[in-house]
Amino acid sequence: MARYWSQYLAVSPYYLIFSVFMLFPMLYTVYLAFQKWDGIGEMQFVGLQQFRFLWDDPIFWLSLRNTLVIWVLATVPMLFMALVLAVLVNSVRRFTAFYRVALFIPSITSLVAIAIFFGAIFSNNFGLINAILQAMHVSAVPWLSNEWTIKLVIAALMTWQWTGYNAIIYLAGLQAIPSELYEAARMDGAGPVRIFFSITIPLLRPIILFTVVVSTVTGLQSFTEPQVLFGSDASTNPNSGGPGQAGLTTLLYFYHQAFDNNDFGYAAAIVWAFFLLILLIVTINWRLVQRKERRP
Amino acid sequence: MDLSRRRFLEAAVLTAATAGLTAACGGGSGSSGGKDSKTLKLWYWAGGMSDKVVADAKKHFSDTTLKTSVIGGDFKTKLLTGMKTAQTAPDITGIKGEDIASFLPNANRFLDLNELGMDKLAPEYLSWKLKQATTQDGKLIGFPIDIGPCAVYYREDLFAKAGLPTDPAKVSAELSTWDAFFEAGVELHKAVPKSFLVNNIGAVFSMAVGQGTKRFIDEDNTFIGDQDHIRAAWTTAVKAYTLGIDAKINDNTWNAAVGNGTVATGLGAAWYALDIQNAAPATKGKWRVASLPSGPSNLGGSFLCLPSTCANPEKAFEVVSWILNPENQARGFTDAALFPTAPAAYKLPALTGGDAFFGGQKTIEIFGPAAEKIPAAYEAPADAAVSAAYYNELTAIEAKGKNPEDAWKDAVSQAKQIAQRQGVK
Repeated sequence: MARYWSQYLAVSPYYLIFSVFMLFPMLYTVYLAFQKWDGIGEMQFVGLQQFRFLWDDPIFWLSLRNTLVIWVLATVPMLFMALVLAVLVNSVRRFTAFYRVALFIPSITSLVAIAIFFGAIFSNNFGLINAILQAMHVSAVPWLSNEWTIKLVIAALMTWQWTGYNAIIYLAGLQAIPSELYEAARMDGAGPVRIFFSITIPLLRPIILFTVVVSTVTGLQSFTEPQVLFGSDASTNPNSGGPGQAGLTTLLYFYHQAFDNNDFGYAAAIVWAFFLLILLIVTINWRLVQRKERRP
Repeated sequence: MDLSRRRFLEAAVLTAATAGLTAACGGGSGSSGGKDSKTLKLWYWAGGMSDKVVADAKKHFSDTTLKTSVIGGDFKTKLLTGMKTAQTAPDITGIKGEDIASFLPNANRFLDLNELGMDKLAPEYLSWKLKQATTQDGKLIGFPIDIGPCAVYYREDLFAKAGLPTDPAKVSAELSTWDAFFEAGVELHKAVPKSFLVNNIGAVFSMAVGQGTKRFIDEDNTFIGDQDHIRAAWTTAVKAYTLGIDAKINDNTWNAAVGNGTVATGLGAAWYALDIQNAAPATKGKWRVASLPSGPSNLGGSFLCLPSTCANPEKAFEVVSWILNPENQARGFTDAALFPTAPAAYKLPALTGGDAFFGGQKTIEIFGPAAEKIPAAYEAPADAAVSAAYYNELTAIEAKGKNPEDAWKDAVSQAKQIAQRQGVK
């Protein structure tokens, strides 16, 4: 052990910062979930009361449904498009560096900027998309006030941001597949579709598993998108998730409880319940994709 | 380089000791600041105070260094974080009108302004506004910066097109009830089909609730959001929807809607004038202001508070009362559209002049009398949180076409639940 101290010292800054800014707040929310606290007053121990409130709170369940719907609407097309893009980029011979950079740009662009931009494009009365629709004599769609289109817009925003990121990961996976396998398949007379399903997909499975898990974790945590699109409707009712609360994701609801209502104990209960849910979904995902891998 | 365990431990102990020492020193300097501090930290948000008056205050109090910070983003959250320790807390801070009630249960974290001399100044300021920042046992924690007396902003040209009265006095007199006001809206929509009377029904609800002397929770901390006064406000709001005079604007398209005449009126506080001017400068001269149907209401308006960690309470109070004296409030009105809380200011030239944006109308004739007649309603700490349920359900009616009766039931049951969570009976 003693010989490795310098290495431990070298990696310690990360762990120090992690413990102060992530681990401690995380453990502190566990403590908070059993308290009633408004941020500056006295804390009051209330036991499991916050969780009982949670169970009876229709808005919490609504926020869960919203989050899941938005997650499915965003993740499924996103991973599919990412795979297609990765295969395309993998097959081109020229300008590959340019394509990779281009794919990566959306995921490093400020989410707030993207959300404002999407808000302008999808604006009900004065947005670009509705202007185009009207020019083609199709009636305008109330994108930002209909229950379903609100979710669609948020999902489109997430898809736009993360497709390229996943495509880069798939690309790395594709390039790790030995080219002999492809050559052998071609010698045996397999077409491109057969090669894709019989060689590319099976060998890419660990990578797909990784992206599914990561997209689940990030996708369920959607917060900035609805917050910027529908955040401050009015000073009387901030962060409520837009018309009909259709854009209220669980994390936005958490934020609303903690920082608008100063109900920190309840907010802590919300995130812990939500953490358990994410854990459950990730486990289900993992097992589903794992099982496929074992199949001969 | 190979670091031995002993060297590492030495380094670690040293680091810890340094950190401890710094913390100890920090604590020391904070508490030794004492009561004769020459530096006062003032926090407010952009537009929350007149920058010109604040700049003058720095010159006026030459014996004190006034360190001002304009805090961006979520002001309340940053203030809560700042107030954790004396070193980071401001000595004077702004608190928004919608947040003041939620600070009252922790009034002990603020100084009682009455003890600093506010009890003598109080008659000069609007009593209902002072009541908003007073605890039930009579402790005053906020010096009122401004108020938001509400009125109807309307497009004179569109009203003329629909054959409605156009003169502010006439509009105020003839559309003096919600019903009369809505009837005018139906005529307007018939004559100018793209124009609607109200922006969204949440705005109507907020005005109607503000016209009463009771809100969602009473002084005994009992939930009263299911009673007649709230039900009546709800019915008024829903009526605008069923009559088809509701533009249903619940997103950021309001700016454009104001510009192109989709919304023909705006229900808003005195500071709303600035919003309209910024959103639609091209409509200059076409707007007028009339009294709110069925009586005055208030929306917003902030306070200056002195956290109990204030380094020099006497000086801080002196600064605050100077910044918010009637003359400076009148300047704040011209400079930042902050409507004065001292009625004496309403007679000063800054307010009695005509406003070119409103076709030269003297808007103080509408706002002044409204300001003094605003009903004082008890606002409970959980009021804002509880009221959110009603706004959400009203928006659900507009967005999903939800049945208003179902929406009312859901609003009440959700409001009850939020109230229970916040410790309301």
